[in-house]
Amino acid sequence: MKIAHSICPSCSVGCGVNLIIKNQEAVGTYPYKRHPVNQGKNCKKGRDSFRILNEKRLKNPLMRKGGLQQVNWDEALDVASSQMKSYSAHEIGIITSGSLTNQEYETLKRLAASMGVENIGYNAGNFHSFDFETANLDDVENSSTTLIIGDVLKENPLLGRRVILAHENGAEIITVDLASATLTGINSDEYLQLDSISELSAELDKLLPKLNESSTVLIKELETVVEFENILPKLRESGAKILPVLEECNSRGAMNHLPALSKDDLKEILEKVKLLYVVGDDPASYLNESMKNLEFLITQDYLLTETVLMSDVVLPGSSWAEKSGSLTSTTGQTQEISKIVESPGKARDDETIMIELAKKMGLD
Amino acid sequence: MEPQFILAKAKDEEIAKKGECGGAVSALFKYLLDQELVDGVLTLTLGDDVYDGIPTLLETSEDIIETCGSLHCAPTMFGDLISKQLADMSLAVSVKPCDAMAINELEKRHQINGDTIYKVGLNCGGTVMPITARKMIEMFYDVEPAEVVAEEIDKGKFIIELEDGTHKSVEIDELEEKGFGRRENCQRCELKIPRNADLACGNWGAEPGWTFIEIVTEKGKDLVENANKNGYLDVKTPSKKAIAIREKIEGVMIKLAHKFQDKYLDESYPAPENWDEYWNRCIKCYACRDVCPLCYCNECDLEKDFYSSENEIAPDPLTFQGVRLSHMSFSCVNCGQCEDVCPMEIPLARIYHRMQKKYKDETGFVAGVSEELPPLYSPEKG
Repeated sequence: MKIAHSICPSCSVGCGVNLIIKNQEAVGTYPYKRHPVNQGKNCKKGRDSFRILNEKRLKNPLMRKGGLQQVNWDEALDVASSQMKSYSAHEIGIITSGSLTNQEYETLKRLAASMGVENIGYNAGNFHSFDFETANLDDVENSSTTLIIGDVLKENPLLGRRVILAHENGAEIITVDLASATLTGINSDEYLQLDSISELSAELDKLLPKLNESSTVLIKELETVVEFENILPKLRESGAKILPVLEECNSRGAMNHLPALSKDDLKEILEKVKLLYVVGDDPASYLNESMKNLEFLITQDYLLTETVLMSDVVLPGSSWAEKSGSLTSTTGQTQEISKIVESPGKARDDETIMIELAKKMGLD
Repeated sequence: MEPQFILAKAKDEEIAKKGECGGAVSALFKYLLDQELVDGVLTLTLGDDVYDGIPTLLETSEDIIETCGSLHCAPTMFGDLISKQLADMSLAVSVKPCDAMAINELEKRHQINGDTIYKVGLNCGGTVMPITARKMIEMFYDVEPAEVVAEEIDKGKFIIELEDGTHKSVEIDELEEKGFGRRENCQRCELKIPRNADLACGNWGAEPGWTFIEIVTEKGKDLVENANKNGYLDVKTPSKKAIAIREKIEGVMIKLAHKFQDKYLDESYPAPENWDEYWNRCIKCYACRDVCPLCYCNECDLEKDFYSSENEIAPDPLTFQGVRLSHMSFSCVNCGQCEDVCPMEIPLARIYHRMQKKYKDETGFVAGVSEELPPLYSPEKG
C-alpha cells in the first residue's frame, strides 16, 4: 500500500488529495493535510476522484467498420493521420476542454500550428479569456465584503470554505442567484434572487457602492458570455478583487494556451469544418445537432462518452493520476502532478498520442 | 499484568542516532520485520517537509531508517486505514493514543484482528495541523517555516530546530490562547500514555538517547525481551525518580485536558442557535462519516432516502448529524478527524466528544479504552 500526493481533478479550486494505492490500483483517497489550498479537506467529488481512474475507461483504440471495433495503435494512428493529411487546414477543427495538463495544451498547440489549423480552442463555458490579476484564496478569506454570483458553497465547497472563514471574521456576504434559496444564499447576509441572469447587470449597479479594494467578487454562474462581458468592466472599476470560478481543473491553463470558445463559437466551428479532432471534450453531449455535417471524427479521451460513440477513430488516453504535468487552478496557481498509476489496457499518455500523430503526418 | 518500566535504545548505531530518543521503536520494528514476525510495519514518513507526515507501509527492514524521528505536525489516523486496506496483513503499528483507541474499538467490533497486530504506542501531548504550524512559526517565532528541520513538544513548549542547530520555543499556552497550537480535540484529550497498546513509548522520564517504555501487555513484554535477546535493543532500568517525574508530567497533562474539556464542552460550547448556523453550512459530503475510524457500515443509514427530504438545501441536522450521533457518539474516541476534514468548518468533534463524555459519566464506558463494548450496544448500529 502506498499513499501518494496529487491534485484533485474535479473542479478548478486545485485541492490537494492523497491517493491510496494498492497493487498499482487507486483504491481510495486519504486527507492531504499539508496542502495549503484545502488542508486535508475535500468535498465528495474530491474523495470519490479515485473512481474516475477506474470507471468507464477506454482501453483500446477503436475504429468504425460498421460499428466501432477494436484495432491496434498503428492502424488507428495510420488512419487518423492520413485522414488529417487529406483535408486542408481550414477544413479541420481541434477542440479540447479544460481538463488537460499545461504540457498537453502546449503540444496540441504546436501540432495545430504545424498543421496550419486555426479552428482550435477549448470549451470555455461562459467565461471569455481574461488577463487581469484575479483574487487568490487568501484574498477570499480576508475579504471584508464578498459578492457571490452563483452557488459557490455547493459547487466548489473548498472555495466556499474561505467565504465561511471570512464570514466568521465579520465579512458581509452578498449572494445573487436564480433559485428561491441556495446553500450559499442561506449562509449569506443578503440574498438577491433574480428572475434571469440578464437582470444581473442592473442589479449589480445597486451593489457596486459596497465594493472596494478590500472586497472580493466570486463569479460562478452566468448563462452567457455576454453577461461576463457586461459586468466585468464595472467590477474592475470598483477596485474589488475578482475571481471568475472556471469550470474545470485546468480551464485557466487552457486559457493561457488556447482560444476560449463559447457555445456559439463551438457551434460555428462544428458546423463549418469537415474533420474534427476532439481531445478530452464531449461536444456530442451539448451540440449534437451541429456535428451532423462532419465527414470524419477523431476522438482522444480516457472515458466512454457520447462523442466517442459517434467517432470514426477513437484513441484511448490517460486520466489525471496517470500523467505528469501541471494544472493551473482558477486562482492562477500552477501545481505539479506526478504519474502515480499506469493507464489501463492499451490506453496511452495523451501527449505521446499527439506526438505519434504528428510523426505519422511527417510533421516536426 | 503489572506494568513494567524500562529504558531502551537501538543497538544499531545508525538507528539510535537517527531515531527518536535512541530509536527504540524503530529497533523493535526492525526486529519484527527481520524475523518475519509481521508482514509489514505501518508508520509515518517525512513527505515534502517536516509538516508533511505520510502513512507508510514498510515491508523490508532496510526502509526503517527512512522513517526514524517523530513528527508532531502529522495528525494522521491509522485505525480505518488498517481496517479498510490492511485487514488481511499481520502488522506492527506505531500508534498515538487516538490511533490505539480507534483500533481498540475496531478490534471489539471484529474489523481488525487484534491477534495479528503489534501496537507500539507513542506518548502524545497532541498534534498540530500542518498549515497552522507553518502560520504560527511565521507569526510567533519570526522564522521562515521552510527553515525548520525538526520540531518538538516538550515541557509545555513548542520547540523548533533550525538548520544551524539553534532552537526557538514558545509556550503552548500562548499559542493556544491565540487560536494556534494543538488541535482542539488534542487539547481536550486525556489519554496521553497509550496503555491500550502493547507498549507505551516516549521521552517523559527518559534520559538523553534512551526511550522510556511502559510494558503494558504480555505481548509487549515478549516483544521487548526477544528484541533484546536477539541483539536489536539495549535495555536498562529507569530510576524511581524518572518514573515519578513521568507520572507527574502525565498528571499535569491530564489536568490541563480537563481544563480544556470544561472550556470547549461547557463554557464556550456553542448554543443551539450557533449549531443551527453551523448545520446550515453542511454540504452533505459525508467526509465526517468517511474519515471516522469507527464508521464502517456497508449500508449506512445516512444514505437512506427516507432520512432526506426533497428540495432540501442543507440536510436536516436531526436526520443527518442526529442519526450518526445516535449511532456512534457513545463510541467516539475524540480523534478529531471529523473536524479536520469538514470543508465547512463545523466543530463536529466537540458535539461527539460531549456526548461521549456524558455517556461515560453515566455508564463508566470509556471509548477506546474499556475492554467491553458500549452498554446497550447493538451490532446493527455501531
